[in-house]
Amino acid sequence: MSGFDMNNYVDVEPLEIETGLPDEVCPIMYTDEYKQVMSVARRLMQEGEYSERALQLTSKAIALAPAFYTVWNYRYSIVEHLAKESGDVEGYMNKEMDWLDEVTLGNPKNYQIWSYRQALLKIHPAPSVKRELPILQIMIDDDTKNYHVWSYRKWCILFFQDFTNELTYADSLIQRDVYNNSAWTHRMFVMKHTNPSKHEVREEIEYTKKKIEIVPQNVSSWEYLRGLYEVFLDCEYDEETIKFAEKFTDDILKLDITVDKEVSALPNIESSYALEFLADVFAKIPSPENTNNAKKAYTALSLKYDPIRSALWNHKMGQLA
Amino acid sequence: MVGEIRRAKFIGNLLGRRREIVEQVVSEEPYKEDQEDDNDNDNDNDNDVEEIEILMKEQDTETTEARAHVINDCVSLLTAVNEKAELKSDFHRQYLDYAFQIKLPPQMTALDASQPWILYWVLNSLAMLSEDLVSDEMRRRIEEKAFAISPEGGPFGGGIGQLPHLAATYASIEALSSCANSNGSWDKIDKKSIYNWLLSVKQENGGFKTCYSVGEVDTRGVYCALSVASMLNILTDELVENTLQYLINCQNYEGGFGGCPFEDEAHGGYTFCAVASLAIMGALDKINIPKLIDWCATKQYNEEKGFCGRSNKLVDGCYSFWVGGTVAILEAYGYGEYIMNHNEMREYILRCCQDTKRPGLRDKPGKNPDFYHTNYVLAGLSVVEYTFKIDNPKDPFSISAEPRKGVPSSNITAINPVYCLPIDLVKNFANHFK
Repeated sequence: MSGFDMNNYVDVEPLEIETGLPDEVCPIMYTDEYKQVMSVARRLMQEGEYSERALQLTSKAIALAPAFYTVWNYRYSIVEHLAKESGDVEGYMNKEMDWLDEVTLGNPKNYQIWSYRQALLKIHPAPSVKRELPILQIMIDDDTKNYHVWSYRKWCILFFQDFTNELTYADSLIQRDVYNNSAWTHRMFVMKHTNPSKHEVREEIEYTKKKIEIVPQNVSSWEYLRGLYEVFLDCEYDEETIKFAEKFTDDILKLDITVDKEVSALPNIESSYALEFLADVFAKIPSPENTNNAKKAYTALSLKYDPIRSALWNHKMGQLA
Repeated sequence: MVGEIRRAKFIGNLLGRRREIVEQVVSEEPYKEDQEDDNDNDNDNDNDVEEIEILMKEQDTETTEARAHVINDCVSLLTAVNEKAELKSDFHRQYLDYAFQIKLPPQMTALDASQPWILYWVLNSLAMLSEDLVSDEMRRRIEEKAFAISPEGGPFGGGIGQLPHLAATYASIEALSSCANSNGSWDKIDKKSIYNWLLSVKQENGGFKTCYSVGEVDTRGVYCALSVASMLNILTDELVENTLQYLINCQNYEGGFGGCPFEDEAHGGYTFCAVASLAIMGALDKINIPKLIDWCATKQYNEEKGFCGRSNKLVDGCYSFWVGGTVAILEAYGYGEYIMNHNEMREYILRCCQDTKRPGLRDKPGKNPDFYHTNYVLAGLSVVEYTFKIDNPKDPFSISAEPRKGVPSSNITAINPVYCLPIDLVKNFANHFK
């Protein structure tokens, strides 16, 4: 692609981008370059010019203002036209994707890139998941919880219906940072869309427990463990998992815990989320012993381990049989 | 060629930035050591620090490293008990008044496609501080700008000559509703054309696309469309066909909502958009409310006191509203007052989101104030200091508020949490279009 040169647009009558209001609220002090580029872009859009120079102008405009959605839309129309004219739609689209990769690397927080990318893939004659994953990996490596990129990755995997690498990919991010909630939710995305067998669900539960053993005080892994039981196992919590959770609560349910308990008399525990998990599990299976344990767990959470939510724990206690 | 070299360098940088994971066991009071480094008042802190001593086996990762810094900053502000926690209304008012005096510098060009947002954030922030602060002249200038952007009266784009956009239309209607129909501006809004445009960006799956033809489809779009439609009284069955199912599918296993209906990560902003949309549709009972309540509650941190927007992410003042507003909607619809700790949230807002040197409200200590955070932090304060109920669950404009017992008052205006606008203003607007 040749360099951008404003001289290629001298025949275009610019269309004003300022309101001209005498006392406008919060007008932006545009640079001369910005005004020039955008006012020409406005005119070309209005005239519906779909040309190579129009394409170059949108590159420039997007470099100046990546969130300018109107120009993204205009560019999409230009690409649609020019790709057809070129006689090599696939080659043309690939070239466009290369350009988009460059812009993507420089604008990690941008919204427009991702919907534009989706729109391109939909009209690409031979889209490829292999073409997509490297750039996504680079973006995630740089910002491991980037919402747009994770969401786009999910869209992409559904678009290509290729889940092959996804659990491994999410695992690599969890290995890097076990608290990465985006990576945990990606595993659930895969599980929910691949109709796992009972055995596979069990394996996933074991995987999660191993991660909890490394870091017991982690909301992401505990939420995920619960999620697996709720989504795939009808909340049928087994004895083994209850015992597993108890490991992180220092047997405190064997203590006598009432609201007037001295906070200092409660031991330190490894995980408040384990205690919360136990409380909710016991609350779901009615028996005098379970109810009593749930009550003790909620009381302990309220007193010491998660006091900011004491109103919630009290409410849950009130709902016990 | 140049591009490829640049990319190679970029990738090199990224790899260089990757951190090794170090496993370590943190025995006791993990944050105290740091805190003593830059705090002169150690004695004041001892009691508070003791609350944070869950014995943690912790891995030192990007997550813990980032959060340790934030906790350190917040705890020193939260424990400065000699300073009164109060809203510096007059100070923040200066910041909002600037908006009517200044031109935004060229580096703010990033906001060029979001100009109506500035109108809404500034006007609504002033109205929340006190409705008396909004002058007729301010209203006139806001209206003029909105109608300069869309002389036809809607739908609205981000600036003149820009395509209509759901977020810009939402922000414009919100801003205009706060103008109290001065100069008859409400009658210049073209309901019919907004309705037809909303239908044109409606998707088969029940979502809405922010812009035709390339735009995002997520719960933000649904919220913007449904807010505008309900305020202008153009909310038809046709407009919301399949939308309920779309929203239901956005609730993920965590209990909160993601942006898209395919198990996206639960997120405070998208959760608010989904829950407010469900409230507008009178369909809150169609989702898993207990899971949603647990998710919202878990977003409040014991140490920083404020909300984060996703599990294991950092606290941010704007979630005082995105999550706090969700909680307020649940409260209004009768699901209880126990979901958040209001006094602790208020402490985060007043002690961590204000600065003595710079007016305006901010995300967290160390960040600069901006109009966006000023609006949503103040809105968060409003949902903390008032308690909400609804007269008719089918009519979101019938939400009313009264001061919350046991929570001090900052004399902030009560907002309708569904619309993030002062209760009376949005009710008057909706009545005008009935």
